[in-house]
Amino acid sequence: MAIHEKSLIEPERLLHHDKLVVDGVDVSGHWNTMITPRTLTTYDEDFEARIRSIPGGENVHRCWQCGSCTNSCTMYAQNVQFNPRYWIYAVRLGLKDEIIKDKDIIWQCVSCNKCTHICPRDVRPEGVMKALAHWLEAEGYTQKSPSTIFDEAFADQVMDTGRMEDAHLIVTFFRRTGQSLFQGWLRVFGGRLMRHMPVGMGLRMGGHLLHAPRTRSWGKTRKVLKEYIQEQKEAAHG
Amino acid sequence: MQDTVLIVGSGPAGLSAAAQVTGAGRRAVLVEKEDTLGGAPILSGYAKLVPSGEWARDAIGRMVRRVEEEEKITVHKGTRVTRLDGEAGDFTAELDNGQKVKAGAVVLATGFTHFDPVNKPEWGFGTFPDVITTTQMEQMVANGKIACPSDGRTPERVAILLCVGSRDRQIGREWCSKICCTVSTNLAMEIKELSPETEVFIYYMDIRTFGLYEDRFYWTSQEEFQTKFVKARIAEVTASGDGRLLLKGEDTLVKRPIVIPFDIVVHAVGMDPNQDNPEIARVFGVDLEKHGYLQRAEHYTNPCGTSRPGIYACGAAYGPETIDDSISQGAAAGCRAAADVQPHGRKAG
Repeated sequence: MAIHEKSLIEPERLLHHDKLVVDGVDVSGHWNTMITPRTLTTYDEDFEARIRSIPGGENVHRCWQCGSCTNSCTMYAQNVQFNPRYWIYAVRLGLKDEIIKDKDIIWQCVSCNKCTHICPRDVRPEGVMKALAHWLEAEGYTQKSPSTIFDEAFADQVMDTGRMEDAHLIVTFFRRTGQSLFQGWLRVFGGRLMRHMPVGMGLRMGGHLLHAPRTRSWGKTRKVLKEYIQEQKEAAHG
Repeated sequence: MQDTVLIVGSGPAGLSAAAQVTGAGRRAVLVEKEDTLGGAPILSGYAKLVPSGEWARDAIGRMVRRVEEEEKITVHKGTRVTRLDGEAGDFTAELDNGQKVKAGAVVLATGFTHFDPVNKPEWGFGTFPDVITTTQMEQMVANGKIACPSDGRTPERVAILLCVGSRDRQIGREWCSKICCTVSTNLAMEIKELSPETEVFIYYMDIRTFGLYEDRFYWTSQEEFQTKFVKARIAEVTASGDGRLLLKGEDTLVKRPIVIPFDIVVHAVGMDPNQDNPEIARVFGVDLEKHGYLQRAEHYTNPCGTSRPGIYACGAAYGPETIDDSISQGAAAGCRAAADVQPHGRKAG
């Protein structure tokens, strides 16, 4: 008989083979459902040190699992899967798979820093969330964020040429993020820029060289302002 | 009126009581059942003491020397008290070496017995050579080398299991042994100092490094010595195929079963009542409390008292106690006993 309560098992732990023969017995189909165990069988002792080497993760080893971070967490109130206390424990014992499993949740930290301010051991959990997001990105478990790609394009250009050209940067960023240069919003932006080309402004600036305009009724305002400055100077220096 | 106090037991509490009695100008007779003075720290070969960090042989050795050099203290080693007659102010004790001691007061500094972990067979002590007790690990530290007893290899991982023989209704130990958390964190640091490549894991239900031991031992072991704390009470210790030990249990914070290989498993053994307590209760006519330790008298106005006037107690005879507090209580009991007898050399009347 097949296992009916498959819904209780995480899908990745269910093994199913359409054709399977074990010790000469055909156990194909329903009969061959197997479940991998949930047991943790080792710790990765180097993982904690790796996370501690990433800015923000330095204090992760101090945690004693009181749960203050998760308790105070803005995101936990929205999503019970968002549990900084748990991830910190997983880091300490090197349960890397537990972190990877939650790769699509960890980045949701909004950096409100309530955890940082409440933590009795100064673990700085918000920093740990950042460090974990960076580690996941660096190891390729999550895609690079657009801001990271932008920062890299910026840094590369400065390293190459010793200066930064806006147009070059935006083209590089679009290329690296796989975006077309001719985007709808860019066309609208360009069109409006053309329509409001500041031709008149240039003429006015030229005219102002010949005749310096003044703010209306500036004479009175200037008088009051000068008196006030004088008053303040005397009050300050005697 | 007598000028002598009889002190039973020469651990930290008894040594402290004896020094206090003679310091107050009275005589003391110290009876010790073992052939060596110093009690558990010396007999079990403890390494560095909590919280002083001084080697047990130096610190307790100093207490022993002070007592041995004091002429107003008579020491009987390898001796037990077999009978006590009389009443407060005028006791007569018979020793198993045939001598009789007249004393005005008695101080019981009879201490405790280490829990024997063969009584928790599922945790592998007595079955696997690499499962040892905290006292055995202390001896290893005192000898300066951390190695697996089975084949002498340096352990990659050491697990310390807390509450072995404490807080366990299954074996009738319904008390916290008070010192094991602090001792274990201290031990974790000592192991790391001697063997930096060894990772130390402490398996706990709660961490009770009370008072000023919190940051000095618990936090320091975590922050400076990378000790890992795992919230799990281990179900069983078995052998893996490759000569290591497998620790099985549930990591309650991950809510998953664990089967983790280790090289050495250390049992943080608790403090049982002295196994001689039934005999001590009979000989001295004092009551035991429900766990089997000496019954404390009403404490507020009768500190260090027992159920029998003129007989005082101190240290781990009353229940799990630290070495430092045992010494303080020994001094207090010595004071109470000294007040019951007259200074040595003064005429009665």
